[in-house]
Amino acid sequence: MIQERLEALREAARQEIAGAKDLVAAEELRIKYLGKKGALSEILKVMGKLPPNERRAVGEGANALKAELETLLSGIAERFEAAKLERELKGAQLDVTLPGRRRPQGHVHPVTQTLEAVTRIFHRLGFETAEGPEIERDYYNFEALNFPADHPARDMQDTFFIEGESLQLGRPEPVLLRTHTSPVQIRAMLERKPPLQIIAPGRVYRWDFDITHTPMFHQVEGLMVDRGVTMAHLKGILDAFARAFFGSSTRTRFRPSFFPFTEPSAEMDIGCILCGQASAAGCRVCKGTGWLEILGSGMVHPNVFRAVGYDDPTLGDVTGFAFGMGVERLAMLSYGLDDIRMLFENDIRFLAQF
Amino acid sequence: MKISLTWLNELLSEPLELTVEELAKRLTMAGLEVEGIHEPIAKVVGLDDVVLEVNVTPNRPDALSHWGVARDLAALTGIGLKPPTLPAGIDTATDREGAGRVVRVVRVVIEAKDRCQRYAARLIEGVKVAPSPDWLTRRLQACGVRPINNLVDVTNYVLMELGQPLHAFDYDRLSEGRVVVRLAREGETLKTLDGREQVLSQDDLVIADAQRAQALAGVMGGETSEVNPGTTRVLLEAAAFSPPSVRRTAKRHGFHTEASHRFERGVDAAEGLVRALDRAAALIAELGGGKVKGGRWDAVATPLVPRSIALRFDRVGALLGCDVPPAETQRILTALGFTLTEPTAVGAKVTVPSYRVDIEGEADLVEEVARIRGYAAIPSELPPSRVPSAQLSSRERAEARMRQVLVGAGFDEAINYSFNDPRELEALGSRTLVRLRNPLTAESSAMRTHLSVGLLQCLARNLRHGASAVRLFEVGRVYRPEPAAANAKERITPVAQEQLRLGGLLHGSRFERVWTHASPGPGAKDASLDFYDAKGAVETVLEALGVAGVQFSPAEEAGYHPRATARLVAEDGAVLGQVGALDPRWAKRLELPAGVFLFELDAEALFALSARAQAATAYRPLPKYPAVTRDLAVVVPLEQPQEAVRQVILEVGQPLVGAAQLFDVYVGKPLPEGKKNLAFALEYRSPERTLTDEEVTRAHQEIVSQVNARLGAELR
Repeated sequence: MIQERLEALREAARQEIAGAKDLVAAEELRIKYLGKKGALSEILKVMGKLPPNERRAVGEGANALKAELETLLSGIAERFEAAKLERELKGAQLDVTLPGRRRPQGHVHPVTQTLEAVTRIFHRLGFETAEGPEIERDYYNFEALNFPADHPARDMQDTFFIEGESLQLGRPEPVLLRTHTSPVQIRAMLERKPPLQIIAPGRVYRWDFDITHTPMFHQVEGLMVDRGVTMAHLKGILDAFARAFFGSSTRTRFRPSFFPFTEPSAEMDIGCILCGQASAAGCRVCKGTGWLEILGSGMVHPNVFRAVGYDDPTLGDVTGFAFGMGVERLAMLSYGLDDIRMLFENDIRFLAQF
Repeated sequence: MKISLTWLNELLSEPLELTVEELAKRLTMAGLEVEGIHEPIAKVVGLDDVVLEVNVTPNRPDALSHWGVARDLAALTGIGLKPPTLPAGIDTATDREGAGRVVRVVRVVIEAKDRCQRYAARLIEGVKVAPSPDWLTRRLQACGVRPINNLVDVTNYVLMELGQPLHAFDYDRLSEGRVVVRLAREGETLKTLDGREQVLSQDDLVIADAQRAQALAGVMGGETSEVNPGTTRVLLEAAAFSPPSVRRTAKRHGFHTEASHRFERGVDAAEGLVRALDRAAALIAELGGGKVKGGRWDAVATPLVPRSIALRFDRVGALLGCDVPPAETQRILTALGFTLTEPTAVGAKVTVPSYRVDIEGEADLVEEVARIRGYAAIPSELPPSRVPSAQLSSRERAEARMRQVLVGAGFDEAINYSFNDPRELEALGSRTLVRLRNPLTAESSAMRTHLSVGLLQCLARNLRHGASAVRLFEVGRVYRPEPAAANAKERITPVAQEQLRLGGLLHGSRFERVWTHASPGPGAKDASLDFYDAKGAVETVLEALGVAGVQFSPAEEAGYHPRATARLVAEDGAVLGQVGALDPRWAKRLELPAGVFLFELDAEALFALSARAQAATAYRPLPKYPAVTRDLAVVVPLEQPQEAVRQVILEVGQPLVGAAQLFDVYVGKPLPEGKKNLAFALEYRSPERTLTDEEVTRAHQEIVSQVNARLGAELR
């Protein structure tokens, strides 16, 4: 009797499952036949009244039926899901050309980017960053660097003077905006003993304003002092810098020059980055010379060592080199910019290009 | 300086076998940088000369003449020198007595002995002032000098040839035929050749006659004793004045002349001076049809002792980093005019030629050897570093991080000049300013005390260009005078206080017009950047630097809106800066629109806090049990700060409430006037077990009633 009801249930369920139209219908059928209050449970309610031997047979039959229907139902559900996925994968095309949701993006100033690129290279070459004040005493900016008072070398750097004077030397001494980062050399050497290997990036000031000069700009100063430091080392470090900054095929040349605080002094040129030293007469970057002046350098002048007490024989026979470069010039060369003043107007259309 | 190629060739014993370009390169690579080559304008009229534009560095006055360049060229090429010939018949003796000789009619006295090392003079009589011959005017024109007359032109010619400045006086205009080299007297005046009446300083060195100043020594002559069409007797001066003295006088009176340029750098007092005097005197006599009076007056105030330097041969290689054989060093120095005496295997005594005023020590000699050999002969090698590998300091890392985060938040980095209009800074309450004595403009005459002035100028400029949204920041220093007493002792303390700041500015629409945002109408809640964007940027920076526990409290700051500004205070009580709306009165004065927000923080204090936080960073175990979130809404008076409400919630919520996050602020109906609704999401969590629904509900109800009791808040 109960077996027949199970058989009838099996038949009805098979037919209905086969005819199910979608996932929802399949789920309804699962509830109808296999749910807590479903048809199968309904039939099995009477199980308890059956004799034990019969109960066992019915139980096995019912479990088999349940397993069969579950398999059928999950099979059909899978088919429907697969069909649905199939439809989705072949459905409407998303407009991928619509702009994405973006957060506004700012920009690091090109001078900062250049400055960071330069300092990164020198950090790798073993130079540590040092800092100094921008409002500086005449002594550190000039005198200790072997610029005597009333010397024409001071004309190379037109100076902004600050109202008031410093009395630290026991006599009135001008206070000024540093005209170069070189006073950081003096401060570093007064504070520490050799060996010393520093770079000093920062703002400097000169009384000038035109297409190639702004009253404020940035420099990176370098100084290495130790026993046995030579001009060959100066060339080695600066060659390495030039190749790292301008590219591995960059050519350099060193020319004699004059800075009061170095002797011998040298200027470094690199092969023109635009005409590639073809020396094209019309090259607007190198003006046809094939070379671009990049930085000044030299071996630390004995008078500078004297000023900071590095001539002390107990330190051994120390020698050193120093160099300094203008960051804006590097930035202008890197980006092909021809008016330095643009760098300090902070036009966001300009800043957004970097 | 302009160098005529023809003239240069005349001073060499054989012709240069170099093209102009090769010559320019040789000179450049030896330290006489050729900045330009002027090809002949026309071959026909004798203007077939090539002119080199040579940039002579301030240490090389010896190269400020054709003879000087020829000297370097001779050392570079091995070609001999051919000195300009002195016309026959000139008496080169220096004497003091004798009839018919210069000593009878001229008397030179150097009173200011520390300002004038040597003063030599000659007298040329019976000259006739006339235009110079063509060959001379062409030479001068090639060097960019305007021809005047045969007498003056000769002095300029010899200047360009030998580098010694000369001055020609009309002898008959000099009272008593006297030449006195002295300091100017108080209130003394002199009309210089440019027609300006100069009031002299007691620091000015002058050439005077028996009565008054006749020339600014080494700078410019005076009108009274100027060579004029009626001049027949010329007193020719060749002197060596103190370089700093000439420089101060030239600067004081606004002059930069061919003469002062050379005197400031130093002339060849021992030899070149008299050679130039004799050559010019002879030329004047020749071109002016006169006769050089016998004898030369020669006053020497300080002895002309040649300098000598002990040179160690191995020092050359040690400084350059390559082998330089002693023989090569000797050859180069000799070619440059140095004399080596007492040579041994290890060194020699090197006597410096009198024209090389720049050579003071051994390093200078090394440079001479290096530049003639060529710097290309020095190898390029990396030094062995004895310094432990360099790392970014925590300060540098924090600064880079700060930039990164702000750029990520949509801010462009600005770099402004460090000087501003002092009136703007004073309006911001800066009573003491670091002021420039010689500013470019009055509007840039004080060192900034705030970054906001520059940032607001950037905003104005960008608005003029039609920007609809501006977000800018700057990392830069501000400057204040150091209290006078504080800096007297230490040798290396700064003279002013400089503090690194982070400044920021926001203005304009928050979103660009994009399809993903329904475009909010004007005045809509989301349309424009506001205080909370500025505060959010500041909070983002603080989080990125690991700086926690900063309190924001209402504050009044100069330049900021008194009701829309917060001061930032660190956990240790230090004030870090402020964020707020621009004071509308300031905005109006600058003609800026409403809706400008600023922040300005002490970057150094932030970096210090950041370093401390980084050092204290340690792992905390993640929670083991899940959290349950319940919302809490309270109605409080409009004036009630949110943070006070949140603190009460956290306090009464202990220990189960771990976080309370505000997610809505509502004002309006159906709330009564003067009230606002604050909605918080409370996070319940226990470190020991999973909380049951019932537990959370009980705790939540307790918190609700306590918050109510503490704040008098109405619950919703």
